[in-house]
Amino acid sequence: MSEMELPLVIFTVLSQTAVGLVAISAIRQHAADGPAGSVRPEWMTAALLLIAGLVASLFHLGHPLGAPLAIKHLGSAWLSREALGIGVFTALVIVGFLSARDRVNAGLSFAAAAVGLIALFFTAMTYSPPGFPALNNVMPFVFFLLTAAMVGAGFASYFTSAEKMPMITRILAVSLIIGLVVYLVVPFLWLSGGTVMRQTGLNYISSPLYWARIIVGLVIPLMAIWRMRTLAAWVPVLVLAGEIMGRIAFFLLAVHASANMGGIY
Amino acid sequence: MKKQLAFYIDAKRCIGCFTCAMACKNQYHQESGVIWRDVYELKEEIYPHRERAFYSLACNHCENPTCLNVCPVVAYYKREADGVVVHEQDKCIGCGNCIRSCPYGAPRYNPVLKRAEKCSFCWQRLDDDRKPACVLSCPTDALQIVDLAEFDEANAVQYPAGFPRYPSLNPSVRFRLPAMPKMIRRKL
Ligand code: SF4
Ligand code: SF4
Repeated sequence: MSEMELPLVIFTVLSQTAVGLVAISAIRQHAADGPAGSVRPEWMTAALLLIAGLVASLFHLGHPLGAPLAIKHLGSAWLSREALGIGVFTALVIVGFLSARDRVNAGLSFAAAAVGLIALFFTAMTYSPPGFPALNNVMPFVFFLLTAAMVGAGFASYFTSAEKMPMITRILAVSLIIGLVVYLVVPFLWLSGGTVMRQTGLNYISSPLYWARIIVGLVIPLMAIWRMRTLAAWVPVLVLAGEIMGRIAFFLLAVHASANMGGIY
Repeated sequence: MKKQLAFYIDAKRCIGCFTCAMACKNQYHQESGVIWRDVYELKEEIYPHRERAFYSLACNHCENPTCLNVCPVVAYYKREADGVVVHEQDKCIGCGNCIRSCPYGAPRYNPVLKRAEKCSFCWQRLDDDRKPACVLSCPTDALQIVDLAEFDEANAVQYPAGFPRYPSLNPSVRFRLPAMPKMIRRKL
């Protein structure tokens, strides 16, 4: 098994939350009728999430002062592309926050959302290396998109006017349903893979962390929305807690290909 | 094909004595737990005999090294002259990306220097016309160095059972499979 990688857990979850927040903010302001909501505090929150995530990511490095050099290998290293993508996204979000009146300029909103989604893709490519057969595929991208949609929509609810709450609640509910299906199905699919992928699946299915993440981050929030027909303020907090648990599981439970040297692959 | 040095692992000859791994340790004095070359026993599901079989493994100096491709600070380079993949530790910022990425587990984290490191193929020795320390030390000649541009051993295998198959990396390594032991049974 691997390590918990807390700095990376914090960096990935917070930066993906910011991507979701900005993308949903762009849609809510410019593609739906009605009041924009509290846009300035929303973009400030996205900027703070990104800055906190970037600071956390430094703790992952053996030599944090070398972090600026991480954009040196754009030609082939997804990590360099990710560093650049997240950097540009953070800059756009800060400009959006500083220039916002009651709305952020439409072009800037959609540009920031697009750059954020591209940066999220780069992050996903960074975390799908050959060394982890269960993750050396499209799944990290799906997981990270779900984080952006679920936690992003959850956080967006704090900045949304009452008129547009049904829209945000719908986005969150649909994302949670998709997330529940994906997270319940994927570890069982891994069981049909080779030895290492199968062991990853078994680690997930036998891990209390995985099941806690399903219940805390997906089932309870879904039931709360279904029973109350609205979005209570505590629900996004649970969704975030579930994503953090899920991301710890992502790093902790995936088995490295080299773990089975000398055995059947 | 350009010159590409590779380890030839003759599992028919290897007796699992760990001398190669010890020679590596002797040469480079890695921190405790940081292993560049290790000897792996084949599991019973592959080699179900009382007699045992082993692969001595290190970095495979791949044709398309993922360690090099994913390193954000370009701390790796592949030598034109012989295909050896070199890690320049002073450039490394210790992000661990190569360690996660290499399916052969070759790059390891040095917790004291807080940087990655891996088998260098003893390139300084190569440049001095000497064999790598591990190859030199093997008492049964089970570990050898070959040039894949010229290597022509009909029975050699790139991906034997017990070794992960990654054609996209094209690891520069070849194996001779272990011999099946001769079973002598008393007639009942
Ligand atoms: S075995 Fe791993 S560390 Fe060695 S060259 Fe190939 S990818 Fe790089
Ligand atoms: S740990 Fe060092 S060598 Fe490996 S990818 Fe990161 S910076 Fe490059």
